[in-house]
Amino acid sequence: MHLDPFIALALATTGIAVVLLVWFLIKRPTLTRNTKLVLLFGIGILPVMTAANGNVAGYHAMKTRTFCGSCHVMTPYKDDSADPNSLGLAARHGRNEAFGAENCYTCHADYGMFGTITTKLGGLRHVYEYTLNFHQLTLEEAIPKIHIRKPFPNSTCIRCHSTQNPLWMKIGEHASTLVETRAGTLSCASAGCHGAAHPFSHDIHERAKLGAK
Amino acid sequence: MTRLLRLSAVLTIVALALMVWSMLAPTPMPVMVAMTVGQGLGTLAFALYLFVIVRDLREHWRADRVEQITVDIPALAEGPRIDDGPPS
Repeated sequence: MHLDPFIALALATTGIAVVLLVWFLIKRPTLTRNTKLVLLFGIGILPVMTAANGNVAGYHAMKTRTFCGSCHVMTPYKDDSADPNSLGLAARHGRNEAFGAENCYTCHADYGMFGTITTKLGGLRHVYEYTLNFHQLTLEEAIPKIHIRKPFPNSTCIRCHSTQNPLWMKIGEHASTLVETRAGTLSCASAGCHGAAHPFSHDIHERAKLGAK
Repeated sequence: MTRLLRLSAVLTIVALALMVWSMLAPTPMPVMVAMTVGQGLGTLAFALYLFVIVRDLREHWRADRVEQITVDIPALAEGPRIDDGPPS
């Protein structure tokens, strides 16, 4: 089993801190300089190390597909992108080692200098929405209501598919829509191009739209 | 003061437990609780520890000063020495 080294470090510092603190609570030593030093490690230095390593481990964990799929309404999205037989964009990218088990984050994270911060703020919004609006819904009730907040930006695709590769340009549709693709006015994931990233949810949304009419 | 330190130790153990929970079960709720409540409790515990230590040090300094003053009083009672110059 692979153990994140940050988790290992955090567990080690936690263990030592707990031993020191339990010793202090049970033995009740007099408050000498040595006792104060022991407490400096038990209350200060070691817990700060645990928090620092725990934060890094937490940030790593937040990037994984398992983390994204831990809310029940995201389970079908997680399962689809991990399905080796799925032909959806998410699954095809998930099979690529560069995306791997972090494929949700790799595609949905914001780009740019403050991308990580805006992505985390977006994640907090997800927690808020889930806790207040989606937690009590069944999957059948929730999926038609789940929408991507803003259209998936082509800039995310262009990070890897630069639109400058001669092989890419040889494809007629790419060449004819180059300006729109680069400007983001025509989505790579639109119907007729590469299609929805999560085809199952696209079908459900389409059915819901027809039902509403 | 020892009571405050004991409280600080208990708070630290609770904070550490929350942090470890988030590492062993990395789902949204434990991670958020660890990064807010856990780290908040840890900070509070460390602040309590610093408060106790600083207060203890100040008491020591004060005691040292009082001791120095009581030592100096007999010296003052002897009055000014000749090489101090004439009184103004």
